[in-house]
Amino acid sequence: MRVNDAITGFVLLAFAIVMFAYARTLPAIPGQEYGAAVFPMLIAVGLAGCGILMIASGFRQWQGAVIWNDWARTHHAWVRLAVIFALILAYILAAPVLGFAPTSITILLVFMLTMGVRWWIAAAVAIAATVLIQQTFVGLLRVPLPLGLLGP
Amino acid sequence: MSAIQTAFGLVFQPAVLVTIFLAALFGLVVGAIPGLTATMAIALLVPVTFFMDPVPAVGAMVTCSAMAIFAGDIPGTLLRIPGTPASAAYTDEAYMMTRNGEGEIALGANLLFSAIGGLFGTFVLILSAPALAEVALQFSSFEYFWMALLGLTCAVFIGTGSPVKGLVSLFIGLFVSTIGLNNPAGVPRFTFGNAELTGGVNFIAAMIGLFAVSEVFRFAISHSIQTAPQAVIGNLFRGWGRMMVQYWPQQLRGNVLGTIIGALPGAGADIAAWVSYAVSKKMSRTPEKFGKGHVEGIIESTSSNNAALAGAWVPALVFGIPGDSITAIVIGVLYLKNMNPGPTIFLNNPEYIYAVFIIFILANLVMLPLGWAAIKGARTILRIPREILMPCILMFCIVGAFAINNSAFGVAVMLVFGVLGFLMEENDIPVAPCILGIVLGPMLEENFVTSMIKSDGSYLAFFERPISGALGIATLLIWLAPVLLMALRSRRSTMLRQG
Repeated sequence: MRVNDAITGFVLLAFAIVMFAYARTLPAIPGQEYGAAVFPMLIAVGLAGCGILMIASGFRQWQGAVIWNDWARTHHAWVRLAVIFALILAYILAAPVLGFAPTSITILLVFMLTMGVRWWIAAAVAIAATVLIQQTFVGLLRVPLPLGLLGP
Repeated sequence: MSAIQTAFGLVFQPAVLVTIFLAALFGLVVGAIPGLTATMAIALLVPVTFFMDPVPAVGAMVTCSAMAIFAGDIPGTLLRIPGTPASAAYTDEAYMMTRNGEGEIALGANLLFSAIGGLFGTFVLILSAPALAEVALQFSSFEYFWMALLGLTCAVFIGTGSPVKGLVSLFIGLFVSTIGLNNPAGVPRFTFGNAELTGGVNFIAAMIGLFAVSEVFRFAISHSIQTAPQAVIGNLFRGWGRMMVQYWPQQLRGNVLGTIIGALPGAGADIAAWVSYAVSKKMSRTPEKFGKGHVEGIIESTSSNNAALAGAWVPALVFGIPGDSITAIVIGVLYLKNMNPGPTIFLNNPEYIYAVFIIFILANLVMLPLGWAAIKGARTILRIPREILMPCILMFCIVGAFAINNSAFGVAVMLVFGVLGFLMEENDIPVAPCILGIVLGPMLEENFVTSMIKSDGSYLAFFERPISGALGIATLLIWLAPVLLMALRSRRSTMLRQG
């Protein structure tokens, strides 16, 4: 999925303008000319410059707003992308409630089944990998992974 | 002398040695699997090293990166798929050798000259870093500003195909570095009242997203068929003596060039390999043999990419300026460990520096037996199904991003940067300048604002001190070079038309 440079350029330009406007509102250090606002404003100017250059080069080689390459034409690939995105999101939302182990097993299982792994292999790997990660991070590195349902 | 003894004491502890050994195995496996890069190996390793002492943490990263860069040669030679981008330059050549039945010679050369290249780079690092640190002690905020800017400039203009897209990536990284309270004025910026954002965007979570999660996304859209290679049966050590004697100039040239390119801020092992392969072909007495399975170019470029790895540590340790994306990550970790890189570390904690040197030598020596084992086991490593591996990597990323602050916010940051990294690479915007921007942003800003306050807003002050002036002019020349070249070319073409 190649977005035309001109579109990317417009997005960058708009972002740079918002960034510049926001940076201007940052308070100055009393008695100093150079405070928190200078650096973000310089970055915004640079980003805007890049945006304009990309708009110019994008229009010169305009072949439509988005060029769909091979993978983007198959809905398979989009489903997979959406599944991975949703799984990470699911961890953020579900792990504190359900706990690490159930969430991890579910995520691994769903991901592998989406990729076409046979269910019994997927189940075995999901459990083994979860135990391994749990042992490494909780046992060895003392990271308090969320306990959720399994907790007190 | 006592510092060196302390350093040996720090390194030769069972726990440190076991860590290094495990990191080496991890680096070999990740490097050997196509689609998993050396940078990704480091990104996955960081959450684990986060909980270690400085010496094992740095040791694990040094060893892992050296192994991964070497191991990238294995699938390149056997399957014509480079394991890491640093091996891409000579993949075709090495694969031709396999087809000619000389696979074991190619892999043997990769192993031997990777180790020698790494050792050469290490010795340059050992000899030059303390001397450069002496110079760096004289540096003020002006010099540091230029050093940081020069590093970022090289990353954009040398390391990428399109300077504009490199700049976009860099500015995104710099923008990310401004988020939070961490600025000279201590004002919350771009936080929008979010308490988690006041601490800034966590560097480790961002990096896991950019380098590892984006690869998981890319895996989801690719449907490459995995092919298992033939096992390597022949004697790997065949022809080592002959190659050492016959190709010593190529090897030396690869080592020197690799170390120099590695030491350039912003250019790393992959560029070193491409340049060395091209140089080798140009200087060769038999350039017609190149591309048909000739070991000469492989020797030069495989020496070069491993030498570059050590070379990249010179600016990283001495100035705190990363030479490539791997050292950018390492610098981020060093700061977290209160081992701030820069010339003062040579004065205050010389034992840490010596420990890093010892680990470098150790890593390149241990590469020979472990690399041999990896080549012998290549068939098994390359048969691990990607559909099973990638979900496990994703889970590891999630837990790693969570573990840094024990909060789901890290996972959210990782997800955002994973999507960003995926979109950037789909549109040919390089990721490396972004990570350099995130690491160097605070340093660039602090030295810029301090310098401006010191000089009362006069830009001329940036050129008044001799070293700062020279660095400034060098930076500006790199900026202007594309414009000057364009002007020169158009003038020549008008002269041709008139003449």
